[in-house]
Amino acid sequence: MTSPLRLLVNGVPVETPVPPSERLLDTLRWRLGLRGTKEGCRTGACGACTVLIGGHPRLSCLTLSHQVGEEPILTVEGLESDPVGRAVMDVFVAEAALQCGYCTPGFVVALTGLLKEHPGASESSLLEGLQGNLCRCTGYSSIRRAVTRLAEPAP
Amino acid sequence: MALLAPTRAEEAIAELLDGPEGRVAVLAGGTDLLLDLEEGKGAPEVLLSLHRLPWRELRWGREHLEVGATLPLAELERDPELARRIPGLLEAVGAVGGFALRNQATLGGNLVRASPVSDLIPILLALECEVGILGSTGERTIPLEKFLLGPRRTVLARGELVRRVVIPTLPSAFRWQRVRPANDVSQISVAVARTPDGEHWRIATAGVAPLARRARTAEALLRGRSPPEELMVSAAAGAAEEAGVRADKRATDTYRRQLLRTLVLRAIRAVPVGPTGDAG
Repeated sequence: MTSPLRLLVNGVPVETPVPPSERLLDTLRWRLGLRGTKEGCRTGACGACTVLIGGHPRLSCLTLSHQVGEEPILTVEGLESDPVGRAVMDVFVAEAALQCGYCTPGFVVALTGLLKEHPGASESSLLEGLQGNLCRCTGYSSIRRAVTRLAEPAP
Repeated sequence: MALLAPTRAEEAIAELLDGPEGRVAVLAGGTDLLLDLEEGKGAPEVLLSLHRLPWRELRWGREHLEVGATLPLAELERDPELARRIPGLLEAVGAVGGFALRNQATLGGNLVRASPVSDLIPILLALECEVGILGSTGERTIPLEKFLLGPRRTVLARGELVRRVVIPTLPSAFRWQRVRPANDVSQISVAVARTPDGEHWRIATAGVAPLARRARTAEALLRGRSPPEELMVSAAAGAAEEAGVRADKRATDTYRRQLLRTLVLRAIRAVPVGPTGDAG
């Protein structure tokens, strides 16, 4: 059984039939073709599926699409047109803050959410905010360099 | 499976009372329930989502904080008063999952799911919070300790929902240990609270017995806002004995006992000596 669902994804209103128990992760990837959002663990442990809902980082693997309502969704595909998201991605590129890249959408989306909510956040608070994101290549040192550049210098 | 998201409490309760037992599963943040459904545990016909109910209050009273059942945990964290008025609760909320998960997970959901590894149950036991339960005949309020019957079991009867949690504002602290700081389960977590006059201390531990519980013999050793060091040490040692430590894949019983003693001592010391938690 599916029922029609309206979502606002990266500024674009979309309508698609979605079964009641479908995860937002699957709706984004398999109905809307937005495959930037990754499925890592599907149990809320790795953060690869992080998207912003109403500006806040959320785990799309543990969110039912029908629970989202009218709140705007921002995925990694929408970061390009967001000034904070653009800045985060530029720094990730400049620092080569990735190895295989699978966890990267989760990291940049989470960081964008953290920086939008707390402009000028310190390095330690950004790192704390990223504790829920795993890099299975363990390429953390380059990610840390990117975070250092995105953080306000310590007072 | 159908998803219903009523906007009025009466509709939600009527839905719960309709049809055979087990037909409806109640969905709040879903961070725990969806894992069960994914694994094929339970096959409800209806998912009753509470997300459209106006149950997201965060209201400070003189001596209490009232939290609506479906308020996401991150909203509690964002409250500027929490660090000063209930420091232990802020520390415990920050230990749940990661930040993205806390934007979703709710306080009500955490209590109803009654997970043996909940980091919120110990602090709410130590604070002696009360749970407001809404049913077809109105709302009743019971202490959390009576609300919890065991792992994954509560007193909630059919047709009842947790509506709110009422949390006393008390000087308090929370300490935990786990392998990974986020999105992992604590090997041990410890919560300590005391009444403003220092007459009563309360210690609760989790990661030990089947469900978080108070360590009453140990807490009775403590008196005053700043108990002498030797009493703190005895209380910590006592709590480690009293907790019912067990071994599992996350830690041996020996390690847990040692950890528990250390964390109880640290938590007692971390409880602010001043009038934190008082009104004003």
